[in-house]
Amino acid sequence: MSKKNRISRRRFLEGTGAALVAAEVSTIKAQNETAASRATVKLTVNGTAQRVEVQDNWTLAETLRDHLKLTGTKIGCDRGECGACTVLVDGKPMYSCSQLAVWMDGKSIQTVEGLGQGEKLDPLQKAFIEHDAPQCGFCTSGQLMAAKGLLAHNPHPTKEQVEAGLTGNICRCAAYNRYVEATLAATTPIATGGTATFAAKADAPVSKSLKTVGHATPRIDAMERVTGKAVYTRDVSLPGMLYGAVLRSPHPHARIKSIDTSKAAAMPGVKAIVTHENCQVVWGAGGIAGGVQYNDAVKKITKQRRYAFNNPVRFVGEPVAAVAAEDRHLAEEALSHIKVEYEELPFVLDAEEALKPDAVKLWPEGNLSLNNQNESKPLSQKRGNVDEGLRASEHVFENRFSTTLVHNAQMEPRSCVAAWEGDKLTVYTPTGGIANCRNDMARDLGIPMEKVRVVCQYMGGNFGNKNQNQDADLITAMLAKQAGAPVKLEMSRKEDYIGMHGRWPTIQYFKVGVDREGTLKAIQLRGYSGMGGYRKNSGSIGGVDAFQCPNIETTVYPVYTNRTVSGNFRGPEYPQGYFGFQSMMDDVAYKVKMDPVEFALKNMTRKANDQVEYTNYSLDECIRRGAEAFEWKKRWRPEPGSDRGPVKRGAGMAFMAFRSGVGPSNAVIHVDSKGQYYVHVGVTDVGAGAKTTMGLIAAEALDVPLSQVKVVWGDTDRCPYSVGESGSRTTIQTGYAVVEAAREIKKQIAEKGMPTGNAVLTAATGPNPRMDSGKQRAAFGAHFVEVEVDTELGYARVLKYLAVHDCGRIINPLTAEGQIKGGVLMGVSMALHEDFIYDARTGQPLTPGYYGARVITHRDAPNIEVLFIESDDGYGPYGAKSIGESGKVPAVGAVANAIYNALGHRIKDLPITRDKVLGVLV
Amino acid sequence: MKTFTNANPRDLPQALKLLEQARAAGKNAAVAGGGSDLLGMIKERIVSPDVVVHLRSIKGMDQVASEKGGARVGGLITLDALSSHPLIRRQYAVLAEAAESVATPQIRNAGTLAGNVCQRPWCWYYRNGFPCFKAGGNQCFSINGENQFHAIFGGGPSFIVHPSDTAPALVALGAQFRVTGPSGERTVPAADFFVLPKQNAARENALKDDEVLGMVRLPAPRPGTRSAYHKVMDREAWTHAVVSAAIVLEMDGEVCRSARIVLGGVAPTPWRVPDAERVLAGQRITPELAAKAGEVAVAGANPLRKNAYKVPLTKAVVQRTIVELARRA
Repeated sequence: MSKKNRISRRRFLEGTGAALVAAEVSTIKAQNETAASRATVKLTVNGTAQRVEVQDNWTLAETLRDHLKLTGTKIGCDRGECGACTVLVDGKPMYSCSQLAVWMDGKSIQTVEGLGQGEKLDPLQKAFIEHDAPQCGFCTSGQLMAAKGLLAHNPHPTKEQVEAGLTGNICRCAAYNRYVEATLAATTPIATGGTATFAAKADAPVSKSLKTVGHATPRIDAMERVTGKAVYTRDVSLPGMLYGAVLRSPHPHARIKSIDTSKAAAMPGVKAIVTHENCQVVWGAGGIAGGVQYNDAVKKITKQRRYAFNNPVRFVGEPVAAVAAEDRHLAEEALSHIKVEYEELPFVLDAEEALKPDAVKLWPEGNLSLNNQNESKPLSQKRGNVDEGLRASEHVFENRFSTTLVHNAQMEPRSCVAAWEGDKLTVYTPTGGIANCRNDMARDLGIPMEKVRVVCQYMGGNFGNKNQNQDADLITAMLAKQAGAPVKLEMSRKEDYIGMHGRWPTIQYFKVGVDREGTLKAIQLRGYSGMGGYRKNSGSIGGVDAFQCPNIETTVYPVYTNRTVSGNFRGPEYPQGYFGFQSMMDDVAYKVKMDPVEFALKNMTRKANDQVEYTNYSLDECIRRGAEAFEWKKRWRPEPGSDRGPVKRGAGMAFMAFRSGVGPSNAVIHVDSKGQYYVHVGVTDVGAGAKTTMGLIAAEALDVPLSQVKVVWGDTDRCPYSVGESGSRTTIQTGYAVVEAAREIKKQIAEKGMPTGNAVLTAATGPNPRMDSGKQRAAFGAHFVEVEVDTELGYARVLKYLAVHDCGRIINPLTAEGQIKGGVLMGVSMALHEDFIYDARTGQPLTPGYYGARVITHRDAPNIEVLFIESDDGYGPYGAKSIGESGKVPAVGAVANAIYNALGHRIKDLPITRDKVLGVLV
Repeated sequence: MKTFTNANPRDLPQALKLLEQARAAGKNAAVAGGGSDLLGMIKERIVSPDVVVHLRSIKGMDQVASEKGGARVGGLITLDALSSHPLIRRQYAVLAEAAESVATPQIRNAGTLAGNVCQRPWCWYYRNGFPCFKAGGNQCFSINGENQFHAIFGGGPSFIVHPSDTAPALVALGAQFRVTGPSGERTVPAADFFVLPKQNAARENALKDDEVLGMVRLPAPRPGTRSAYHKVMDREAWTHAVVSAAIVLEMDGEVCRSARIVLGGVAPTPWRVPDAERVLAGQRITPELAAKAGEVAVAGANPLRKNAYKVPLTKAVVQRTIVELARRA
């Protein structure tokens, strides 16, 4: 990359003070105002008139949350882009993050806390519960208030009017269908229990004799999620708590020559400052060599350590220093008084470029990331002999595909509250893996595990890389230690985008050989994954395992670049890999004049890696039943692009086989003399419904009603080690531990009788089930999409979407369907919209946030139909398989293939935006 | 957010006085309408006011009044109120539709007409703190950078596109802007309010530092007038126009007496295309004629490396909006 035109971020900031909005008075020189102005405003909040003294620069959201303790209103972006902070101002929905409290003088404010009347819920809240609208729940208060505002002036809206009314409220779980359905249901009753259809697997139907499992059940914590009572990390407030803020690198690649914190440290109210000079803590989970779980063995040998603060810095947004101060504005102000001298280094953004010999090296060992043995090797997978396979093929096709960096963008930006009591650290943080987070914190800080407590009662979405600790957790803990007081750190939406991680961008080169009949003979993939400055996860490109083929060879290079770090994001290597693989195979099908459905049925996997039997196999059924229910023959056009237009329709499909193993976890069950069962599991429920799932499994296994089961979660002091919520495995692994614990406690009850008085019986289990040799489990699925592509306006829109999945037995149909719908819609968003764009000349990110990344809204979200083919393979709890990631895995490829069918041109670079659609037509 | 002092003025003269006082004291001052965008820019440190003058505390500047068959619209009317006002919907559909297309319900409930017209560019270089022309610097980063959303008309030295939806509608309607400053009021035709970068690269309009856009006059529509706003976005809500068209047709049966076509999202100002208007004048509207108008509309386009797609897109938007309007009763 060229050195000229690199711009100092600091200079940006200093240089822009003079440019003000239109009709602003710009003057000679800004004077530094230190004393913050205050005013008293009259507010009527949820019906109660009050006088509130506010600082002039406090937003309404901040005032409600911090000063009136109404934390049901959430802050998801603080920029009026997401809607989580929506409240009613004089009856109208507004973003409370984008209004100052001083502007609200004389106004009436209604928040989620004022929605119900005492114990009586608003009809909207009731409908939100019954229709399982909230997943993670972080956007729910905002959705409720937007819906309330809509119904106030339009009591009987149409579906389109509801979508328009709620469209200012992003839901990253993408529960859009459910929010709309629930809002409509609040005005006119609609049947509850979800809309998915169920079919029993033809040759292995599930038994229908279960009492609790398999019945649509609202979440056990739904009430908290719709009333604003659910406590998320940012809602935690401790006495004497300070606020943290992080100074981040303005450069894509630079050496820090010096940091002068003296001026900031001298500011009254500033209590702690940490930098790479005084805080040399390794963040193990932030840069795992080889993409494997960071552990003591890896820690010992890895050469490429990531610290909480690094020098050199390797991407824009990397932490350089952090401050704790008495209030949030002061902490932010203090950052501007830290002087950092940088030596700017050349940078590289593109993975292929980074492997060229003259590219700047991010690490001394080079830009090909080392594996966990410190070897400089690509990831590779081989079967048979691909060269021979290609030679023997009748036809060989080649293609190049690329996918972009897309951000997890969970609704709750990373946050942490850390407090030390003596040598014991308590960390409140949004993690789906309290146990892993605790281990990580202890390892990184060099303290015993028992000296760390991790608490997460509710979290605003996961979608990957929340099964470990984060640098925010370490930084907050270090600030709290130095300050001798609890510290809360709340990352901004922009910081979350540029400072954490997203899905790794890939470049994929395919060579595929088929015989005369269109049977796959050879698949070769050479891929490049851009990992950012550190390798947080594998960088693999998945998808070859969906195909039966005697000769395969995949070679994938995980490469360091000066972009934001890449890490796990819902099906880490699959949605981007499936876009490549399923587009490639779709292309091959057309080229050999086959219907993609026929091609799929011919070439789909039948054994894992063509070798190992699946415990049960339903991919053929997913494809066949899906094609029939979707009316594939009617919607698919043998001649792509043949619809007359200008708005052209077309259909596409993609299919999947996804990991669904078994494995270890722990659960503890107590029973008291009243017959109340307490199920302790180390889950937090990232939004998928794990608490409820665990409750249902326990009730079934104990043979008691759900009301006799209390689930205890989210606190390492109260819960056993459970496998974290990642890899779609909580239901399978922790759910199985619950079944075992229930069995154990029933045995004890049979032996000893029910406990009496204050006695309890306790069963603790930690099963580590194994597969029978020669078998492998997998979840299967097939997606069918119809799109329309406007060849003049360049847009592509999904008209019909059917997702067929075998996820084993469905424990809770209500939440399971939500998982599939949400995964699919995230895939649609990735296929058509999202991109984290960088400026090539400066290495600066240009689209951090929901506005920039064009994350889909209510009005963009099509209805997703779900068909479950239920099966029971005898493993997992009651035959349940993985589900959380499945919906997203084939979605991107399916949408892309439908666009090809409509357009007759294949767009090979994500996202499929207007410029590309119109571009191929020129 | 940085500290500042907020002022809630009672009336416009007091607001202007507050601005003047701030200036006299050597302070940066900013005016807030709905305030959403201003707060975002303060949080991002793109602007750093010491004083914020909150105009929405002024009563009475948010009304629509009919006036000699036309309308007088207070600059502080919210976009929501504007788009649902019966007179505006009846006589100025293009303006109602433009206001309704802005961002989200929440923003339309706070955001004002004047604020929408005067908002700063949403160019990602400007919004991400690059020292560009708009930020007081001396270069435009989009020329050799990521310019897929930038100008195909009127660019240079800055290539931003004007972000307002209501602005093209107001130009198409021939609105008059009443601008108030310390030395009194002046009236500026909407078309003259907006300035190209070659006139002033740091600003998008002719408003002086100490002036406020207080009121907009809409002329009485001629008989047979119908109008529409068509906005193309990269998602169905909360983005600025990739391309938009505000079109006002004066029809006599199937024949178009005169037309006004103003484009959004393609130029640093609302971009009127008189040649395309002339194609329609005195003609019966057919799909072919509309297509011709679309073609003429983009005749002078000068795309950058990544925004050539806007040329066929603009053509299609113009054509479709005309056809759609001709169909409307």
